[in-house]
Amino acid sequence: MADLAISGYSPIETAARREARTALLLASPALVLMLVFIILPTVAVIVLGFTDFELGYASFRFVGFENYAELLNSRTFRKSLWNTAVYTAIVTPVSIALGLGVALLIESEPRGRSFFRTVYFLPVASLLVAMATVWQYLFHPSIGPLNALLAQFGIPGPNWLGASSTVIYGLSVIGIWQSIGFNMVLFLAGLTAIPRDLYAAAEVDGAKSALDRFRLVTWPMLGPTTLFVTTISVINSVKVFETVKTLTEGGPNKASEVLLFTIYQEGFVFLRVGYASAMTVVFLAILVVLMVLQYRFLDRQVHYS
Amino acid sequence: MKHIKKALAAAAMSMVLSMPAHAETTLTVHYPMPGFFKDVMDTISKKFMEENPDIKIQFANPSATYEEGIQTIMRQAGTAEMPDVTFIGLNRLRMLNERDIPVDLTPLVAAEGDMAAKGFSDNILKLAQVKGKQVGLAFATSNPIMYYNADLVRKAGGNPDVPPATWDEVIALGGKIKALGDGNEGIDFRWQGDDWMFSGLLFGAGGKMLSDDETKVAFNGPEGQKAVEVLDRMVKQGGLPVLTKQAGEQAFTAGKVGFAFQTTGALRNTIKNVGDKFDLRTAHIPLIDPVNGRLPTGGNAVVILTKDADRQAAAWKFAKFAAGPYGASVVVPGTGYVPNNELAAKSPDYLGNFYKENPLFRAGLEQMPLMQPWYAFPGSNGVKVTQAIVENLSRIVEQTATPKEALDDAAAEVKGLLPRS
Repeated sequence: MADLAISGYSPIETAARREARTALLLASPALVLMLVFIILPTVAVIVLGFTDFELGYASFRFVGFENYAELLNSRTFRKSLWNTAVYTAIVTPVSIALGLGVALLIESEPRGRSFFRTVYFLPVASLLVAMATVWQYLFHPSIGPLNALLAQFGIPGPNWLGASSTVIYGLSVIGIWQSIGFNMVLFLAGLTAIPRDLYAAAEVDGAKSALDRFRLVTWPMLGPTTLFVTTISVINSVKVFETVKTLTEGGPNKASEVLLFTIYQEGFVFLRVGYASAMTVVFLAILVVLMVLQYRFLDRQVHYS
Repeated sequence: MKHIKKALAAAAMSMVLSMPAHAETTLTVHYPMPGFFKDVMDTISKKFMEENPDIKIQFANPSATYEEGIQTIMRQAGTAEMPDVTFIGLNRLRMLNERDIPVDLTPLVAAEGDMAAKGFSDNILKLAQVKGKQVGLAFATSNPIMYYNADLVRKAGGNPDVPPATWDEVIALGGKIKALGDGNEGIDFRWQGDDWMFSGLLFGAGGKMLSDDETKVAFNGPEGQKAVEVLDRMVKQGGLPVLTKQAGEQAFTAGKVGFAFQTTGALRNTIKNVGDKFDLRTAHIPLIDPVNGRLPTGGNAVVILTKDADRQAAAWKFAKFAAGPYGASVVVPGTGYVPNNELAAKSPDYLGNFYKENPLFRAGLEQMPLMQPWYAFPGSNGVKVTQAIVENLSRIVEQTATPKEALDDAAAEVKGLLPRS
């Protein structure tokens, strides 16, 4: 008793403290890595966003909100914000709907399941930069197979990637092609997790048609999966870059300029690191706000079993 | 522990023993675009080390593109990782020089005395100068040429043995090829990406980008207006479609385009891609002003970065070797670049016979006297300026603006991007 009175802690308290210390010790490698690879770089980007730093110069000056003011007035930035929004608004819903459709079709037919799964997943595994040349050819206005096909039906094919009026739609098609497979795999995983007896119960309760079963069982049970797929799809769409860089270089006349491409241009081609950092901060803020909104809105409607 | 100590001692001993008796200088060389230059660099450095046994060349990790290369250099400048020698795009030399990174080669050139005798004429030296300072030595250089599909020209009633020499003739023939139908296009002009091909039109009209003191925009003068009008007429009458860069290349190599205007550096690849699909020919690019017209130079220059005197001397030897006749004789046949060295072009020891046997490569060679530096804009927006020009050109190609409007807008935008001083 005397010893304990000196240390001032009860045995339980001491044990709790020791446990907390051990926990901290065990978590520290992860914490250090997080600090070095996530938190510090983010802080660095935020700080650089307030400077006029240009790659290659030894010194820089703090310029306050000058970069952000320039962003607000920049035609390029507004254009690229708009293009990214259009691209995301097309690619996210379409690739989710088609991904779900494909997953349902594959799930309902046991024959050739793994074959179709692989086929639809191929675009995810393929190297987009290499596939870009193929898409360039498919979309080619005069020698491309796609427009040749349209011509068979008497439809004059658009100049997919060449014209500023259609380039963002052309890129969207590629984006959808690329993400269907990924969404499908996630939905397939979600589907296998639905207990079979729920379908039997629904049938007993009078849900006879496939549509009813989908509406009453599959869709609500897929809620958490759908939320996850939506989140990932939005992030991936906002992050579109490779297709733009390899196929259109943001052109013609900024018609396919998207956020990441603009950041790349400013930071790595024009070497204006300070300005590009400010843009990155805005980009991160947009992503965070989107995620928060999505979770707030969708989380309430999702049924976790 | 004992074992480790022993091993360390043994390693240290063997290192001492393997040290060569004579002082050896090791140069670290960095270059971009390994897909393009790896074999060339390996061949050149091997030959160089044979001739200079006291200098050892080691390569730093090559960068995938020119842009990545210059970023790497700027990050490493002044640190121990900085390579001794690098290769920089000719239009980025100014940017590097403004940051005071490259070594001034002017005194080295002066000390050499007989640079012209080694094939480095004044004209060639100027390609890698920034405001009179010798920043590098041009290593691989190119100029814009005309590629044409002789089969289509014949079909459209032209004579492929007498290629069109003026833009009027090109546009007229291009229009006829377009009129053949069947998805044929008249012209592909590489206006996308950067201002290089626009420079081809502008310099070809005898114009220039900025006034001599670099304070005022000059490309919207009469020469520039002629340049954009030619582009506009190519679209309206010559059958120039709106294509991305790759789509244009694909259409030409598929045999669906009459004339393609782009760098001679793409020649080897074009020959390979065309195969025997059609009769590929090359010719001079027309000049709007045949008397005063000039052409821009693309490509890269070897640049010395090391501040160490011994290594600088070794690096200068390497730079002269790489940019010299032997280097050129390795670079030219593999790519289509023109020899950046006059000795290499004429001497049968190097490329004299090559040009006799490969007539397609001659167009670029014959245009060499017309080459002038690819203009790089001053200030921190130097690269962004070129973007503003390209964007306004796309308005002409898409026919959403008249050539005059587009040129005036480009001039106004560029004016806003120039340094205010």
